[in-house]
Order: sequence, then structure tokens, then C-alpha cells
Amino acid sequence: MSYLTQYMINHGVPKETIVLLLMLPIIAMIIAFARQIIGIKGFGIYTPLIITFAFLATGLKYGLALFIVILFVGTMTRLIVKKFRLLYLPRMAIVLTAVALAMLFLFLEGARSGREGLITVSIFAILIMITIVEKFIAAQIERGARGAIFLTTETLALSIACYWIASWLWLQNLALAYPLGIIFSSIAINILLGKWTGLRLTEYFRFKDIIKNIESSKKPFRKSKNL
Amino acid sequence: MFDLLEKSRDILGINARILTYMRPSNSLGAIRIADNKLLSKKILEKNGLPVLQTYSTIKGIQELKTFNWTSLPSTFTLKPNRGLGGEGIMILFGRKKKYPYAWIKADKKLVEIKDLENHILNILEGTFSLTNLSDVAFFEERIKLLKLFKPYCYRGIPDIRIIVYNSVPIMAEMRLPTKESGGKANLHLGGIGVGIDMGTGVTTTAIQKDRLIEYVPGTRLPLRGIQIPYWKESLRLAIQSQQITKIGFLGIDIAIDREKGPVILELNARPGLSIQIANLSPLDERLRRVKGLKVKTISQGVRIAQNLFGGQIEEELEEISGRKVIGINEPIEILDYQKERYLTSVKIDTGAYRTTICESLAKKLGINEVIGHKKVRGALGEEERQIINLSFILDKRLVVSEAFMADRTEMKYDIIVGRKDLKRFLVDPAKNVFMRSK
Repeated sequence: MSYLTQYMINHGVPKETIVLLLMLPIIAMIIAFARQIIGIKGFGIYTPLIITFAFLATGLKYGLALFIVILFVGTMTRLIVKKFRLLYLPRMAIVLTAVALAMLFLFLEGARSGREGLITVSIFAILIMITIVEKFIAAQIERGARGAIFLTTETLALSIACYWIASWLWLQNLALAYPLGIIFSSIAINILLGKWTGLRLTEYFRFKDIIKNIESSKKPFRKSKNL
Repeated sequence: MFDLLEKSRDILGINARILTYMRPSNSLGAIRIADNKLLSKKILEKNGLPVLQTYSTIKGIQELKTFNWTSLPSTFTLKPNRGLGGEGIMILFGRKKKYPYAWIKADKKLVEIKDLENHILNILEGTFSLTNLSDVAFFEERIKLLKLFKPYCYRGIPDIRIIVYNSVPIMAEMRLPTKESGGKANLHLGGIGVGIDMGTGVTTTAIQKDRLIEYVPGTRLPLRGIQIPYWKESLRLAIQSQQITKIGFLGIDIAIDREKGPVILELNARPGLSIQIANLSPLDERLRRVKGLKVKTISQGVRIAQNLFGGQIEEELEEISGRKVIGINEPIEILDYQKERYLTSVKIDTGAYRTTICESLAKKLGINEVIGHKKVRGALGEEERQIINLSFILDKRLVVSEAFMADRTEMKYDIIVGRKDLKRFLVDPAKNVFMRSK
């Protein structure tokens, strides 16, 4: 462990706080990598990042379950409220209310059946997930159901991958040992990512027909050379 | 793997679109013009370019409350000023004659004033805008569909997207509205994108949802080979709008109105990349060829585009038929008695059977040895002509023939090439037209 992190821990800074703070640049870098090199769009950088942290707080099992319940209730409420022809913000407020209500019932059920894991889940993680609902609903309005589901799945997959990486003990220890090294190397990688002009991985699939065509259009040239 | 990288180098991806082209050539101020439909219309109109008429704009809830609904015609479009990718556009095709005088949408659903109000409220709130900030709604004249395009469109109107860079049109695509896209011509909503040959304005390959298709969905109507009317004018409009707005890398949407001809619909500072799939050719390669060129006039820009990026149709034809496409005037090389090449230009004449060469030229090349005679009936009466052996190279193909020898000293061309020697070629009277009209 580096002197810096050791000093902080000795003076009472929780180890988790330091780990999470050091994981943030790594997760952010992975999200940037996923966008620029792989081509995973998701909802920008904020949403997958915050969902990853929510998962880190709740654990993947409950986090994922809660996330799906929240999304489902949010979408259903939106479809019902749509009929009332309301303005955007009040409409969204109603959706959030319904999701909060659903959470309340979930905790009630958890208390009744005595699920320790569920009822002790960090409330801030749940609040984060509830507020994220707005992003998903906005995506549904803008891109239609299919587009929204696609984006949501992408974001979720990205968050789960980030969760696994961030909860990797070896990486956490590495970050505690070389905190500045982690931060500066992630900045360096981000600069490289920011200058990357090559095709994204998904674009190779998207443009596969052109790539095929470039090949076939080169053949007649060879023939004409023989003439 | 290396091969794949090599080939994909010419394709323009999102990363390169932003870093290499948009950032250096599109200033923020210029992008703001493109993102603001009303502003770009105003600027284009001021410079005398054709745009659609704006009936009225609604800037806030107050204006919506006091809006005079009777001022609206029976057909119009309702648009958000800063909409992205066709979202939030409502097209109304007609109006019911009975109470409550509802308008009709693309999917034949009825739209009443309260629906319009609700939609406008959503627009004002910025639901469809780029940044989700509050927006302005406006009513615009609806394009009258050209008869030619009618069978290809599901409601709505097709538009022509032309990408211009450095005052040269780079690539073009026609976008057709489908049932899936709800009468809108936007590709990510399910519209069809049809590639256009830059030289002739004839459509080539077509895509829907990034997949290649041949026919209009549900029909046997081929999407290939449609001649876009006003092609040159459209290219000119595209260059002009770039020069006016000073957006270096710009996508221009043009629609063709039955009465007005080509009209600029809107400008796009972040043109989509599937235009490459629709044309089955990579964009980056074309952009690189145009980068740094000094284009002085609009006509020059059009000519560069047609000559550099045209010819897809020809290549395809040549591939299918195995024949070369030639124009009316072609350069050829005649082989003289020593098999040396003599370059001259000829007229391709499908009205004549045999090739005819001027006597003086044949003498000069030493190929005037007569091998036979034949009587011909021409406009000037019956005449006996001498036949000689003639070999020439037309468009890289060797043609060995027997040709007439006649006095052509009064004619513009020393040689006309007849049908007999054109069996391995296709004649396109429109080809090389650019060569002549200087």
C-alpha cells in the first residue's frame, strides 16, 4: 500500500471511500473505451458510471433485480400517464412517485418475509436508480420502445462489466498501492482514446457490405491489366 | 485481419467524422446555424436560395394559447426548430370536411386541435430538441410530391441528402419514407436510403435499416435506376448552401417540389454515415481526394464531383453486361501499316452499319490497300465504296474490322464507327457530355 493511502486510512478515512474514488477514473476510462473503440453507445458516461456504483453498493443480485423492477414500474406508469396529456416535468414526477411507491411496497414485502439482504440495501443506491428512470423514459419518448430497450441493455451490460472490474480485488489492491499511477495512466489512455480516428468495432459490422464491395470492385482492375 | 484493416481505412467512422472533419471545418457558430432550422432557412432565403414557406411560428405557451387555428391550411407540417433526426415532425395530409375538422396524419390517424396543442407543448418543452432545452415550434408548407416519386413513397416525401466538403459534393443519397418510418424520410426510423451516382443522378444500391434491398418493400418496384430530376441544380444548391453557411462538412437535404423544383429542406452539421452503405462506397477515401483542392466556382465544384465520383452506374453496367460503355465521341488509336498507334477522335454512329474512314487519313497511315467493293445506298444516292482492313483500339479494346474508305475531308471527324464494330460496347449518348460542354 502506498504511503498516501496508508496515511489516509490511519487517520480514519474509510478504505471503501478511497477504493471507490480510485475506481472512478478506471470505470470512466472503460466507458470511454467502450464508446470509442467498441462502439457501445449507452447513455453517455454518467448513467453507466452511477449504475455501476449503485451495483457496488447493493451487490449485483439485488441491484439488478431492483433495477429491472424500477424500469418496469417506470415504463408502465409512463404508459398510463401518457393518456392524461400532461407536461413533461409533472408527468415525470408522477412516474418517479409511482416507482418510489413500488419500492416502498417491495421493502414492506421484504420486511414481512424477513429478507435481510433486501431490506438492508443502501437507500442511496436505490434513490440513484430511481432518478435514473428519467433517462430511460426520455429515451423511450425519443427513440421508441425498441431503441430504448437497446440502449438500456447496452448500458446495463456496460455497468455489469464495470461492476466486475471495479470489484476485482487485485485491481483494488493495485489502486491502493499506486493511486497516482492509476490516475495518470488513465488520463494518458483517455488522451489516446480522444485522438482515435479508426473505425469502432461495431462499425466493422455496420459497414460490412461496403468492405465486401471494396474487395469485389478491385477485381476488374486486375483483369484489365492483362488486356 | 490486416486485409480487413486495409480495406476499412477508406470508410468514415463516427470517431473520424468528429475529429478529422467536423471539428476542424465546422465552427460552433456555423453549427448553430445548421441546428436552428428557422435561422438557416432565413439565411438561405436571404441569399436567394429556394426554401419552404413558414406559415407561422410558436415561441411560447402564451403564443400557443392565442394562436389562430383557422389560419392553418388543410395540409402542412409541424416541426420543432431544433429537432434531431426527424423526431417530433408531424406531417398532416389533409383535413376532414365534417366536425371537428380533424387533420389526417401519415398513418391515417385523425389529429384534432387539442392533439396539435399537446404536440406543440412537447416541442416547446424541448422533448425533441438536441439539448432538451426549450424550443420553438413552426408550421411549414408541405412539399408537393413529384409524380415520378409517388410509387416509391409511403406518404411523406423523399428527400435528397448531399454531403458537401470543401465546396465539392462528395456523396448523395435519396431517402424514401416507408410505412415503418411513418411517412418520414429518416433512415434510423426505417426509411429507405438509395445511393445516387454523382455523375448522372441515377440511383444505384438501396438500404433499409443498414441492410441492402433491391425493391420497394412489398412490391416488385426496383429502387435501382431512378433518374433524379434537376440533378445538376441540386448539386449547385448544395455547394451554394455550404458557401453561404460556411459549414465545411455539411449534409444538405433537398426535396423536389412539383411546382418549385428543388428546395432546400434543412442543413445538417452531423450527417449520418449510412450514406456509405447506401452507395456501397467509402466516404473517407472521397473526402481525402477533395481535401485541399482549390474550388473557385460552383460549376467547377459540380464538375469535380461528377467527374471524380460519378461512373458507378457505368461500372455496374460493364460488370453485368461485360461490355464497355462508350459515349458518342471517343478517342481511339488506329494501328497503321507498321502496327504503330495513331491517336484520333471518332464519332460513334449506330445509324451506320460499317465503319468509314477518310481516304486521306487511310493513305497517310498506309492502310489504304483495297480488299473489296460494296454498293451502298445513302442519302446522296447509290455509290460504290472501297473496303480496307482496319484495326483500332477503342476504350482499351482491340477491334479488327473491314471498313469503308470514303472522302470525309469536309466532315468534322475522319472516322465514324458503325454498328458492326460496336458489338462489344454499349453506347450512352449522355456520356462525355461534360467533356464537350466547357
